[in-house]
This record gives sequence, C-alpha cells and structure tokens, in this order.
Amino acid sequence: MTERSASQVIEARGLVKRYGAITALSGVSAQVQRGEIFGILGPNGAGKTTLVEILEGLTSPTEGTARVLGIEVTEDPVAVKSRIGVQLQASSYHQYLTLREILDLFGSFYPKHVPAMDLLERVHLADRAGARIKTLSGGMKQRFSIVAALVNEPELVFFDEPTAGLDPDARLDLWDIVRDVREAGATVVITTHYMEEAQALCDRVAFMNAGQIVGLDTPAGLIRSLHAPYRVAVTSVTPLPEAAVRALPGAEEIELSLSADGHVVRLRAQDAPAVTAALTTLAAREGARLVDLAVQPASLEDVFLNVTGRKLSG
Amino acid sequence: MTRILFSSSLKMLTRDRQALFWALIFPLIFLGVFRLFSGDAAGATRLIVSVDATSERGRTLVDALSQVGFLEVDVRPGLDEDSARALVIDDEGDAALVVDPAAPNAPANAVLLVGVRDPIGRQITSAAIASVVDRVNLSLTKVPLPISMTTRPVQEKTTSFFQFVAPGILGMGLMTFATISLAGSLSRYREEGVLRRIRATPLAPWRFFSSVLAAHLVITGVQIVFLTFIAQMLGADLFSGGIWAPLIALLGTVSFLNIGVIIAGRVRGRGAVEGAANAVTLPMMFLSGSFFPVASLPPVMQAVVKVLPLTHMLNALRGVTIEGESISEQWPALLVLLAWAVGSFAVARVAFRFQDD
Repeated sequence: MTERSASQVIEARGLVKRYGAITALSGVSAQVQRGEIFGILGPNGAGKTTLVEILEGLTSPTEGTARVLGIEVTEDPVAVKSRIGVQLQASSYHQYLTLREILDLFGSFYPKHVPAMDLLERVHLADRAGARIKTLSGGMKQRFSIVAALVNEPELVFFDEPTAGLDPDARLDLWDIVRDVREAGATVVITTHYMEEAQALCDRVAFMNAGQIVGLDTPAGLIRSLHAPYRVAVTSVTPLPEAAVRALPGAEEIELSLSADGHVVRLRAQDAPAVTAALTTLAAREGARLVDLAVQPASLEDVFLNVTGRKLSG
Repeated sequence: MTRILFSSSLKMLTRDRQALFWALIFPLIFLGVFRLFSGDAAGATRLIVSVDATSERGRTLVDALSQVGFLEVDVRPGLDEDSARALVIDDEGDAALVVDPAAPNAPANAVLLVGVRDPIGRQITSAAIASVVDRVNLSLTKVPLPISMTTRPVQEKTTSFFQFVAPGILGMGLMTFATISLAGSLSRYREEGVLRRIRATPLAPWRFFSSVLAAHLVITGVQIVFLTFIAQMLGADLFSGGIWAPLIALLGTVSFLNIGVIIAGRVRGRGAVEGAANAVTLPMMFLSGSFFPVASLPPVMQAVVKVLPLTHMLNALRGVTIEGESISEQWPALLVLLAWAVGSFAVARVAFRFQDD
C-alpha cells in the first residue's frame, strides 16, 4: 500500500459529477504515476475541466473518490492544495499588481515558497518583474501563469490548456518549460485539445469524451492499438488496375481518385512495408510509372476519431 | 502572509484611478460646488438710494437702511428712475431706491429697482427694503406701533446651507465609494478569475475577504479625514462633533460595504454589478437628505426614507455637529445603524459565494 501510494500521485476511482440534470463526469477512474507527464485530451465539454477541478479540490465529486499525493481530496483539500500547483485557463491575476508582487502574494499563501525573481528568471520574465499582466504578450502571459503555479515548489502541477491560442514558436517555448518542470522532479497533468501537443509532450494520454475516459495509454501504444494505423498514398501517370489494387493483401479503406498529379490510390494498412512493396511490384508489372509514394504513420487524431467516431478539432 | 495580502488589496485600490475618483474627487467636487452656490458666499447687496439726505425723511430712511446687515448703502441724491436704472444695468449697484423729491410733509413716491439676478436674493432684497420703508413710514407719522415684533433664532447657532450640506456630502462620498467600489472590485476579482485562482491555493476564503474589506476601510478612513478637513476649511462645522462624527460615519459605512458585497454576490457581470450599485446608491443619496432636508419630501416618501441607513447616519452626524447635541441623544439613529450593520452582514454572508456553481 505504501509502495503504491509512493509511485501513484493520483488515484481516481469511479468519479461522477452531476450539475442538476447534466452529468459532466460519468464514472472516471485513472492513475497517474510519479514523474510522468500525463495528458488529458478531449473536445470542449468532454469533462476535462471538471475532472481536473475535482483533483485540485475545487469541486467535490457527486460520487467516487480521488486520492492526490496520498490524501483523500474531499477530506483535506487544503493539504492537497498546499502541495500542488495550478495553472488556470484564463490568465487570472490581479490587474493592478506587478508580476513580482503577484508572485510574492501567491507565495505568501504557502508554508514554503520560491523567491519571485528566481521564478521569473526560469521563464525569461525577470526583466518584466515590474510590469503588469495586461502589458504582456499572449506567450508571456502563459509563461507567467505557468510559473505562478510553481511558487510553492509543487510535487504535482496541473496545466489547463497552457498553449491555447499561441503561435507555434511560443508553443514550442512552453513545451520546453513544461519539460523543465518535469525534469525538476514534479509530476505534470496537462489538459489540451492539440493532438500534436499530447504526442510531443506526454508520457501517457487519456482520451475523454462525454464525461468518460475512452482510451488511456502511451501515445505510441494508442496508435498501435489502431487496426490499420498507416496511411499509404501512391500517385501514378497511368492508372493501376482497380481489381488488382483492391486485391492487395493487408490494404483497407482503399480509395482511387484522379488529381492534377495523376492517378492516386489511398489506403490504410497494418503492415506498411509489405503493402508498399506489393504496390510498387504491381506498378512495375503494369508499367505504370509512379510519381509519388507517401507513407504516414497514424496520429492521435486518428485514434480519437476511432474511439469516439468524431473529429477532435476542425 | 496577512501583511502581504493586506498590502496587495490596498495596492489594488490605490492604483485604481476610478476607485480613487469616487472616493475622494467626486465628493470634493460636490463640496466645492455647494460652497459656491451657498448663500453665505455672496457678498453684500449694493443699494443706491436717491433721496434728499438733508431732510428728516431722507435721513431717517438712510439710517434705517444702513442698519440692514447685508445692504451697502450708497446715497446719490437727485437721480430719476431712468438714470438709476442705467446705473444698475452698468453694475454700479445691485438695486436702487429712488424717492421723488417732495415738500417735507407731503407724501413722496418711491420706486425700487432690483437688479439682483438670483430669485431668492431678489425676494430677500425686496422684502427687506419694503419692511424698512414701512418702519420709516410708521416712525415718521408718529403712530404708536400696534404690534412690536422682535426676532430671535430658535437655536443658539445659526446654520448656513453649506453647514447643512457638508455632512450630507461626507455621507454620500462614503456610501458611493463603499458600495460601488467594493461591489466593483469583488465582481472584477470574480470575472478575471482571481477568485477561482485563489481557491486553488490553501488560502482560507475569509482571509482574502477580510483583506479586501480592511483595505476598503482604510480608504474610508482616509476619506473621512480628507473630506472633514476640506469641509471645515470651506466653512462647515464637522469638527464640533469631536471623535463621534468619524465614528458615526464609520458605523454607517459598514452597512454600505455589506450592501456592496450583497450586490456583487447576487448580480452577475461587472457592468450589471456597477449599474445595480448605482441604482441602489443614487436614490438613497437624494432621498436620505444629503442635499436637502428630509422634511421637504412628501409624506409617502418619508416612510421609505425613515428605513434607509444613510438617513440615520446623516441625522446622527448633523445632530453631533451642526445641532450641537450629545452622542447619547443620537441613540435611535445609532440603534438603526447598528441593526443595519448586523442585518446586512448576515445577508452578505449568504449572498456572496466564492464558487460559481
């Protein structure tokens, strides 16, 4: 038991949250291990925020239990709050205080805290110590709200959509900061609806949809679980015979079309090398000159589409 | 922790220009404007008198007119009505009294030309001169006076309009700042997500709340000192209540702060909150006798007015200052204020929730 609670930072069992007639969470169970970056992915309204708020001690569950850092959250939310760090979606800080004053203020709520200037240096905001939130760029605001979640040197940090609305450069910047946080020894729980973010950052990912976890594994494991994870596309000057293409072993969801570049065959496969070999052999036999061949591994987007039947973004 | 929390709350207020405007500048403007309009700011009325000052009639009239405190008599014999009017138009005087030259014992006609622009001043000037003329008439005809009247003030102290209105402006300033600014900052804390962010820390909500209230009370204290001194400099009488006047003001402000908390707790959205706070304080400012006596309101309104905390705060304030009463005479007003403070606190505790759901 002690061994388990040492490695398990979060243990949620059968969490249900109802607001009147609306069910935001319908039975969520999950464990988060010490030192990992754990992603929670899902569309708006999937229940990500509700789940995270229960774990942070901001909302109490209608049913179920949550142990965070070995503490039952509903029994001692203050003990949990003093050991975790929380970054909220909006940059929710005092508009008339400077960055340094805000960090001093939040630091004063905890038994131990990191000096404000050390924190600001960590996210390259030391030169803005005397500035106010509203004078910062979007990326700076997010960096600040992340570092404000670290004032108490938390063992577990929650980041709620930290890169929402940022340009690619600022996003890469924030990923480095999140990785630094984990390197420094904290466990990170991050919600996002960017698939590539989850894929690039997270050790494990939980997919949420309609108040439930519909898939939980490493990003690679989730992709492997797909029946035919690879997308293969070949373009030829003359068409390949349709019957022969449809007869290719291991090819699924085959589509033939005509584009400006030539005749295109798109398909999905479990064994990409075998299928591409068969395709090139077929083309050589038919004397069709290939102008393009592309093999694409599946992404988390495909996994999400597969488990929920709906697209996450766009 | 408490020190940083409190100083942060105070910084949030003192760096908010709008809050400071409502706290200090808004009531200051009112003090200035009412001081300018107040009757005692106007100087004497200059009266040109055209009469033969060597005759008994002329001498008696000029003597009697000179005794009226606010008249500055300028004797210019030999004017006719037209030339006297020209002088008043040229602002040589504010009014002119032209008495026709007549034989010593024959009745003489007199014309009063009044150039005073404000209507109350015009009436006062005309009435005062008419009564002087009546008195001179009676004394010259040597008829014994059937009724002889002496005027005595009811109160030892005479109160000017500005002295009446200064406590009203102090009360108004305290109320508008307490209610509007507190409701505004609480709803801003909510809207900007500061409340939610603070809930995610181990800080107890009451500590946060107390720091915001304490910061507002500090500004209230600054308001009381600042406005009392300015009003006193302008001729009001707020010092005469001693320590009691500020204490009454503070007691009343407690209710206004609670009302601000209730509004922020029950109304959603910052614009709506500020609107609601104005909708509560504006009528109260006019109904509770900030600028004119409550007695001048129709009886139906007076029933409503007697319930409002500002009414009782102003009654007690005026009691200990301009009316020179003791604090113990204010017990009914103080009791109502105390009931308001306790009652509104109880409602505020229930009405305002940290959590949104």
